[in-house]
Amino acid sequence: MAHFEIKNLSFSYPAAREKKTLQDINLTIGHGQYVTVCGRSGSGKTTLLRQLKSALAPHGKLTGEILFEGRSLKEVGLREQSGSIGYVMQNPDNQIVTDKVWHELAFGLESLGMDQKTIRLRVAEMASYFGIQGWFHKNVTELSGGQKQLLNLASIMAMQPSVLILDEPTSQLDPIAASDFLNTVRKINRELRTTIIITEHRLEDIFHASDKVVVMENGRIIADDEPRKIGEFLKMGGNHMFTAMPTPVQIFYGVENSLTCPLTVREGGDWLSQLFEGKEVRERQVPEIQEGRSVPEPDEVKDPAVFVKEVWFRYEKDAPDILKGVTMRVPKQSLFAIVGGNGTGKSTTLKTICDICRPYRGKVYIDGKPVQKYKGGELFRGNLAMLPQDPQSLFVKKTVREDLQEMLRGSQKEQAEQIEAIAQTCEITPLLDSHPYDLSGGEQQRAALAKVLLTNPRILLLDEPTKGIDSFFKQQFAQILKRLKTQGVTVIMVSHDVEFCAKYADYVSMFFDGSIVTTNTPNRFFSRNSFYTTAANRMSRHIFENAVTNEDVIELCRKNLKKN
Amino acid sequence: MTRETDAFSAYHPMINFTFFFGAFVCGMFFMHPVFLVCSVVFAALYYLSIRGRRGWRYLFGMVPLFVFLSIINPLFNTYGAHVLFTYFHGRPYTVEALGYGMTIAAMVVTIFLWFASYNAVMTSDKFMYLFGRFVPSVSLIFTMVLRLIPSYHKKTEQIRGARRGIGMAADTGTTQEKVRQGMTILSAMMSWALEGGIVMADSMKSRGYGCSKKRTNYALYRFAARDKVMLGVMAALLAVIAWCGMRGGAAAAYTPVFFMAGNFHTVIGVTAYALFLAIPAVINFTEDIIWHILRSKI
Repeated sequence: MAHFEIKNLSFSYPAAREKKTLQDINLTIGHGQYVTVCGRSGSGKTTLLRQLKSALAPHGKLTGEILFEGRSLKEVGLREQSGSIGYVMQNPDNQIVTDKVWHELAFGLESLGMDQKTIRLRVAEMASYFGIQGWFHKNVTELSGGQKQLLNLASIMAMQPSVLILDEPTSQLDPIAASDFLNTVRKINRELRTTIIITEHRLEDIFHASDKVVVMENGRIIADDEPRKIGEFLKMGGNHMFTAMPTPVQIFYGVENSLTCPLTVREGGDWLSQLFEGKEVRERQVPEIQEGRSVPEPDEVKDPAVFVKEVWFRYEKDAPDILKGVTMRVPKQSLFAIVGGNGTGKSTTLKTICDICRPYRGKVYIDGKPVQKYKGGELFRGNLAMLPQDPQSLFVKKTVREDLQEMLRGSQKEQAEQIEAIAQTCEITPLLDSHPYDLSGGEQQRAALAKVLLTNPRILLLDEPTKGIDSFFKQQFAQILKRLKTQGVTVIMVSHDVEFCAKYADYVSMFFDGSIVTTNTPNRFFSRNSFYTTAANRMSRHIFENAVTNEDVIELCRKNLKKN
Repeated sequence: MTRETDAFSAYHPMINFTFFFGAFVCGMFFMHPVFLVCSVVFAALYYLSIRGRRGWRYLFGMVPLFVFLSIINPLFNTYGAHVLFTYFHGRPYTVEALGYGMTIAAMVVTIFLWFASYNAVMTSDKFMYLFGRFVPSVSLIFTMVLRLIPSYHKKTEQIRGARRGIGMAADTGTTQEKVRQGMTILSAMMSWALEGGIVMADSMKSRGYGCSKKRTNYALYRFAARDKVMLGVMAALLAVIAWCGMRGGAAAAYTPVFFMAGNFHTVIGVTAYALFLAIPAVINFTEDIIWHILRSKI
């Protein structure tokens, strides 16, 4: 008997009766399976997952049937559902109800009216299994994003669900916390035989672990198969979702061959070895500097857009130093990426550049002029603007249009023209009259960018711009940045997204322990690292010398195979 | 901070509360000088044992308050047999009234000190644990409020920071601009809070909130054997104090003539009172000593 069986399910929201959000969904999920649901933003993933738990099912017109362990889901009481169907949502913060970690773990059990003894045991079990003992007594506000999401997971697991539904659980987390979280989910699946249904943008970590991958498009399931076959299906169909596949899959289908598709970096490396077995590899390098990218050595940059000189900073007099002699020169019209772990001071560097944090030693020059000399908001008028980590915090009005208007002075007509122009640049014209909170992560990012760009900055500071964005929107975002660069804008970006930096940045700097360790072009930077580098590089380094992006590896493979 | 250093607060919340309740009531009730000295000394001692060196500052702050309250009383109250001096054409300033002023001042200082310790020991979750179980829904709302206030604060800061990064700082410009900025942030906060509220409601529903008729209230505290013993000791001491008080052991009068009781019941009462008030300080000090001994053995 299947765990979940969905038969001919269609659904439409009351506001848009003709447009079906879900259409003829048929899906069977077995006990203990790990099922990944993927698809672009707005393809109906969340709507589908929410149908699987009556307490969360949105209002609307529903036809078809959902069977849970052979019974119609409607007949399974809410009480039983809340125990046996666990649901983890996107936002780690808003899901937490109580003020203490231990209380949050007990919340669900309290709701079901369990007695002290049972709760005590379950809470103890969960805290031990998830390694929460260290912060068991803490206030929830003291936790990091990753810990919060782990707490959400643990407090749901305390109710001992047989199926766990996760809706983009790691979209707000940094890659390391995200990996940790997804590994825990996998552990639950393997050790407790809990059925997992998960949607994710970062397929790298879950694709290979899945028993089954479901691809959705416009409210329909277009593919439902094991992971190895999904790549082939998407490649054949020329589907956009192919760009979301893990690196080894993308490279595999970029090179003509008849071997089996690798899913992990290890398999990818083996596959490359097999591919070149008995063949001579002549071309081991890609040209270090690609076309269209002019890159002088960062230390020799004349007339930098931003020059940070030996900056030291701490938040309070007795607090430890956050920045310890940061020095960097950002050439004009470049995309300058800063990578590095959490809490090393990357975001603080951005704040010192825009004078929100004042260094106690050292100086920041914007276009050769010390940043303090820009008086009375001059700095933010036509010079500098920062896109914060959470784009949502920039929205203060009821529609995107009003939010953009807030930035403008002048007559109605001029304003309308400016908004029209910026909306086109950022590709948000159809979204102008929506509420900013109704947009998806990628759409919010672009709308926030539009708002920031209305100050006409020559220097743009971005704090983790690709967090929680699907691969399609990332490409779109990169195109916008490229366009801005040709218009003379300098972009400084703090990011965890190694793949994105490798592909689009002109320079990459490694930040560690309050200062910049090294700055180089992405190609040199990543090909010299062995851990902090792209999956493509890790997979191909035993054969190629400096292949960093997927395209590099594919190109080298093709060249070498042609010659032989 | 108190969790590591204060051994008394590791006792069951009921014990903590009973102690402070007793200390407050007695502190406000007894006007007998010896009792008062006990109140002040032990309140100060316990406060210091929680706060350590940083406590001295607060303690010294109490001195001017004490002096001020003491000397001000005779200005309003002119009763008393011994006149110190006269002012305003013969208005007397009496020793008895000054003594009474000192008594009132000592009481106020005592209550201040106990309250400072109370705040450190009886955290909100302990209070809610003791009194929340009578109305579970109220106690849940209370924990949610405690959860939301810091998160609203954080979000406000985030919005302010984000706006500063695009040149819309809330702390520059004319007053009118500042007010407008403030209102914008407030309205943004409202939308954000509502949005977050919906997610939280979903999260609660999905974890069975409202499914069961009776919600239980989980707490970490356990009423252990030592709590039982401590409750017994405290009850006994309080009974002795009350008995002595009723027998006139704590009687005292200041105006017009100074009088204070000094009989058998006073001795017993003061002893019991001192023992009672010393409980937390003694617990803390013995704990320190035990650790010291244990450590030197290792």
